Amino acid sequence: MNTLKSYLESMFAKLPNTREVLRAKDELWQMMEDKYMELIAEGKNENEAVGTIISEFGNLEELSGVLGLEKAFSYQPSEDDTAGDAGIYDRQPLPFEEAKQYVDELIRQGFFVSIGVMLCIFSVIWPILSETFNWSQAFGVTGMMLFIAAAVFLFVYSGIMMGKWDYIKNGNYMIDFDTAKVMQNEQSRFRKDYAVRLTIGIVLCVLCWLPSMVISETALGRIDQFENMGAVFLFIIVGIGVMMIVYSSMTMEAYKRILKINDSRLVSGNYVNNQGKERYINSTVETIMSLYWPTITSAYLIWSFLTFDWHLTWIIWPIAGIISGVIKANLTVKE
Amino acid sequence: MAGISSDVIRGYNDTMILYILLENPSYGYEISKTIRQMTDQKYLIKETTLYSAFSRMEKNGYIQSFIAQPDANGNGKKRTYYQITELGRQYYEEKCEEWFLTKEVVENFIQKGART
Repeated sequence: MNTLKSYLESMFAKLPNTREVLRAKDELWQMMEDKYMELIAEGKNENEAVGTIISEFGNLEELSGVLGLEKAFSYQPSEDDTAGDAGIYDRQPLPFEEAKQYVDELIRQGFFVSIGVMLCIFSVIWPILSETFNWSQAFGVTGMMLFIAAAVFLFVYSGIMMGKWDYIKNGNYMIDFDTAKVMQNEQSRFRKDYAVRLTIGIVLCVLCWLPSMVISETALGRIDQFENMGAVFLFIIVGIGVMMIVYSSMTMEAYKRILKINDSRLVSGNYVNNQGKERYINSTVETIMSLYWPTITSAYLIWSFLTFDWHLTWIIWPIAGIISGVIKANLTVKE
Repeated sequence: MAGISSDVIRGYNDTMILYILLENPSYGYEISKTIRQMTDQKYLIKETTLYSAFSRMEKNGYIQSFIAQPDANGNGKKRTYYQITELGRQYYEEKCEEWFLTKEVVENFIQKGART
């Protein structure tokens, strides 16, 4: 039955997303399903049933007249064709292996970038340490520079590594139904992990001042060298927290990017949205919302470090949570 | 036996479908199955042919579609049914007349085993 579904989807993949086309697809599917059930009931095995149905299915071009799709069927790519509507029929299929590699690469580079961000945050630890333990100042500065250099290296490296995938962003590619389903399954498997990692990351950022408070409120604070260690712990905890937020967001973004590759004006653009999931009303809102938590995190850190009012700034998180809920309730549609 | 040329039979797909709908509303697979059984497996209508006929006849007002939901016991599934309209019945009559005429005309030129 999955074979039949994939077959039908591949036949319709490049057709425009109109009501007539979707209705035709739906009714052809009803017929195929009925026929499949009957053939199986007659004792045919799955392969025989699928073979019979596909051989008797006919030709979609027969429908071009009733669906008003002469253009989609007769379209031939031409040299002087400047994008336009015709361009959407010109998409190349992206093989499953390539799509998988692309996603894996995005996730791997997301990891490098998140480590880079973490190193940037860790870098300020060196001057604090050198001051605390009366090391030479050069030591602190060198440590900081080394960490920043390592971070910059990671950013540049991941930028270069992603460069070879630019053709997917720029070119007109589409993924087939099976690829979309596999990617969507991977995405839903990751979703739980994502929630856990994001939560841990946020909790770490919210509670990062805890060690320094414990130190200053207890006997430890009376030991000179421990005074500054609070700040060191704070940066370590924030660094790990931010790393987890960035890495999990970028992994999620990798799945979203491959799943959004199909043009929503074509039937193939429906592969991922037809499972009763919530979706933002348009792509602008979606882009803005993908930056929501990173922005909140930055705002929290900037405000906290500028004022050192850690006892106040945590309020950003519950407020951000409520706002996110309100936005989700108002700007999403259920498919 | 030579297969049926789809060019020849195309003009009569509508007639077959409308004939089946004369009695009761029906849905895609049932109609294609009935055609296959009534013609003793000699004519097999392709799914795409069937749907394009539905779509065209619905636009012309010969048939109407409605969605049947599964019943309260959860039997059956959601299906698109078609029923014939008054206009469809008239059109069916016309097609029958046309066929008698066609048959009468063509018959004059048909002689089995004439090629010697």
